Amino acid sequence: MVFLALLALILGMMYGLFGLNIQPIDFLAEHTDYLLYVLMFLVGISVGMHHGLLEKIKEYHVKILMIPAGIIVGSFLGGVVCSFLTKTPVNVGTAIACGLGWYSLSGVSIGNLAGAAFGSIAFLSNLMREIFSFFTIPWIARHLNYYSCIAPAGATSEDTTLPMMIRYTNEETVVMSVLNGVICSAMVPVLISFCYSVL
Amino acid sequence: MDILLVMCIGVLIGNRFFPEKWKKGNEKAQIICTVLLIFFMGVKIGKMDNIWNEIASMGLTSFLFFFIPSLFSLILVYVLTRIFMKSGRKGDR
Repeated sequence: MVFLALLALILGMMYGLFGLNIQPIDFLAEHTDYLLYVLMFLVGISVGMHHGLLEKIKEYHVKILMIPAGIIVGSFLGGVVCSFLTKTPVNVGTAIACGLGWYSLSGVSIGNLAGAAFGSIAFLSNLMREIFSFFTIPWIARHLNYYSCIAPAGATSEDTTLPMMIRYTNEETVVMSVLNGVICSAMVPVLISFCYSVL
Repeated sequence: MDILLVMCIGVLIGNRFFPEKWKKGNEKAQIICTVLLIFFMGVKIGKMDNIWNEIASMGLTSFLFFFIPSLFSLILVYVLTRIFMKSGRKGDR
């Protein structure tokens, strides 16, 4: 599956780079939300067929919040370390790290707040986070545990990186991944503003 | 939030009405959707203006801002889930 994913990504990038214009592909590329909805519907069916799963998730109760909390605190601390390493102001560095993989939003917001150069760094670093987390999921699932696969994915765990979660973890982790993505996505704008203005 | 709603509808159908014999077909359809989503992600990246120039000029700083926060998140989530969640232990995967 990793090979297939890598091949699909490379072919897609080549299509985009060479400026090809095939109408149905361009149309679908602009409307991937619908494809994601189809995938989520199918995943929902798999989850529903797995009897006893929802009871297990209820058992965890507030412990479910541990994953987004760990991601946010870890990213924030990472942002502090990066600020010192790169001599970036701490408020900007933590704001960049708190993009949690949501490159479009963090790039634009940090660009508006701290200037185009930091906006570009926010954009690129969060894009890298999305792409690299995508391909590290199989390794993390094998060597650490399924929940840890959600950590590098951050806010993207409900959409872009979800297909890899589906392939390499289990139904329970997929549900947690979606919940985590919703929480992290809601927190990104709040965290960026908080880090930039308060610190 | 839409995505949660769509997933919940799927859960309901899977739990009440979906025939067991279509399980494999559902899994294959998921793979097809997955590969298509990855392909379109690549298309979007490939079409971004100046993406390669930006990577060349701010690549290292951006790499640090991606790598260290991701690593710290990974370590923290791994430790927390190993301690507090039953299936977070390696043997229960």
